Amino acid sequence: MRAIEVRGLRKGYGDFIALNGINLDVDEGEVFALLGPNGAGKTTLIRILAEGLSYDSGEIRVFGEPLSKKTARLIGYAPQESLAYDDLTVRENLEFYANLYDVPGKRVDELIERFKLPAKKKAKELSGGFKKRLNLAVALLYDPKILVLDEPSTGLDVPSKRELWELIKEFREEGKTVLLATHYMEEAEALADRVAIMNEGKVIAVGTPEELKGLAGNESVIHVEGILRGTEAILREFRAIERENVLRVSVEDARKALPKVVEALVEGGSEIRSIRIEEPTLEDVFLKLTGRGLE
Amino acid sequence: MKARAVKGIVVKDLRETRRDRMAVFWIFVFPLMWVTLLGAIWGGSSPPVVVHVGAVYFNESAPFTASTLIGIMENVSVDGQKVFRITRYPDESAGLEAVKAGRIDVLLVFPRGFGKNVSSGLQGKVYAYFDRSDPQKYQIASGVVKGFFSEFEREMAYRKLNITLGYVEAYFPKNLSANFSPSMVRAYLVGMMDPIDLREEAVTGERPSPIKFYVTSFIGIQFLFATMLTVSNLLFEEIEKGTLRRIAASPATAWDFLVGKMLSTFIVITASILIGVVYSKAVFKETVFPGPTGWLIIALSAVFSMSLGLAIAMGTRSMKATNALVNLISMPLLFLAAIVIPESILPGWARPIADYFPLGTALKDLRLLEIYHRPPSEVFPDVAWISINSLVMLLIAVLLYNWAIKRLQ
Repeated sequence: MRAIEVRGLRKGYGDFIALNGINLDVDEGEVFALLGPNGAGKTTLIRILAEGLSYDSGEIRVFGEPLSKKTARLIGYAPQESLAYDDLTVRENLEFYANLYDVPGKRVDELIERFKLPAKKKAKELSGGFKKRLNLAVALLYDPKILVLDEPSTGLDVPSKRELWELIKEFREEGKTVLLATHYMEEAEALADRVAIMNEGKVIAVGTPEELKGLAGNESVIHVEGILRGTEAILREFRAIERENVLRVSVEDARKALPKVVEALVEGGSEIRSIRIEEPTLEDVFLKLTGRGLE
Repeated sequence: MKARAVKGIVVKDLRETRRDRMAVFWIFVFPLMWVTLLGAIWGGSSPPVVVHVGAVYFNESAPFTASTLIGIMENVSVDGQKVFRITRYPDESAGLEAVKAGRIDVLLVFPRGFGKNVSSGLQGKVYAYFDRSDPQKYQIASGVVKGFFSEFEREMAYRKLNITLGYVEAYFPKNLSANFSPSMVRAYLVGMMDPIDLREEAVTGERPSPIKFYVTSFIGIQFLFATMLTVSNLLFEEIEKGTLRRIAASPATAWDFLVGKMLSTFIVITASILIGVVYSKAVFKETVFPGPTGWLIIALSAVFSMSLGLAIAMGTRSMKATNALVNLISMPLLFLAAIVIPESILPGWARPIADYFPLGTALKDLRLLEIYHRPPSEVFPDVAWISINSLVMLLIAVLLYNWAIKRLQ
């Protein structure tokens, strides 16, 4: 069954078009990732679904019912920012939301136990990882069928990120539908059954990570790490992304392109630490489809 | 209305307020400082008025001179306190400089020959120069000085009359007429000189206690200023944090949210008022404990003030702007609506504000009930007026809440 159906959804803020005719189907029980750079329209789409943000035109159905305050109860939402009140303890925060949603008090205990939350600690004393967990606990208070997560791992260190991913996998095993927005391609690849790539308010491709990687055709990626100089020429000649001492160059024939890439880097005075030929990732697909990187 | 959602908002707000040190200071400590400070300054009985008088006169050898009169003035006292503080000046220009500089309230100039004229039964001239730059100070100084001279003239007139009557009685023909006696002449002359005999009698009336006045002022500050500031800050925190969007997306309605916010604020303010009231009793042995009608007025006023605070918070775009606007509105109104000062000292143009602005009306009624012990029926028309205003302001707050939610989206 379709958990979420979105048809022709448009939303603008003045002259800026945030969503430009979005069509999307999310199946029940799957983890569905919205992948795209900041400003692609992911958060707007999520806020329409989970916070009742108004939209200009289009249609949204949740388990076959038009989106309303009633169907909103089927959606649990963990936004990017913390929902916790800093001066309240973890338990008091959960109690507040439990009162708001008329959820029995014992559910608060269950969630504290499940997410291993420090019940008596004030929210302002929590680490980033625990704040995200508290957000998740709030989203799960009324046991929704759909969990909507906006950039769940932003700002987390690697161990906290891994723990969070494990939790999201558990939700899928429990049969929950998870819709997550992210601009981390590794998060989408690690968690999602299907991914929608968004750019400038449009869905430009949907499929499983493998299907999407297939869009890159026979291409492979030259992955270079080191202190890189003289990359301008490579970025001009090839489809490439440069970020934090990493250069990824998408090419059809790696054997032919590799010497050119290395030569340009050496001439520029780069200190190359490693070079390898890789299969394309979702980010390379995004690069191919849009001509730019995810960040 | 969802009672559990309202309870959730109230409990959450109370917990947050209790842990916010700044909120605790403004809601609980500041009012106590207010009561202590004003109680200590104005709490005792008012001291008698002292008028600073400058005197310029010439030395004369007549039986009664300006120097004699100034000496009498110097000795006038009320409750053991001298009324006039005299400074002598060598000439008129030095005295006038002192008036202009505000060192004295009035300069009395006795021209040469004053003593000779008065001693001979003729009229003595005195010039009085008052500083009129402060009308209130002028009225007091003028009243006291003129009162002294009026009393002094009367005393002189009676003495002259008695001397005259001594001659009348000695030389009046004994058998002139049964209806024309010396006592009749005396009564006639007294009536001519002093047509109205005003007798002053002391009555111990119900004097409004300054402490009680400032306790009601403190209550006024709480329901005008503190409620508005507290509720607007509580709301704006939700907007800035992004939690208002979440609350709006929850099953809680606009009414649940606004009622929750108002109840939590009212509980905090009521606690603060009770602390102030008890504190005043403990420290100054005097207080005002509102009766049921008083509490009704406080509650209605608080609804008005909180609705105004909510409207401000939802109409502005930052916490700073909210606080600035709340201060801009409430601070002048604390004075113009006669909340911290008596209405009697307000300028004429400000009186309608005190009479018709709902919180000014509320405080006036609270004072009538709790300080002057008037019957509640006397303030019922005003209670109706406050209720209507509070309801209208509440509806405006609800409309603005819905508008703010749309704006956030």
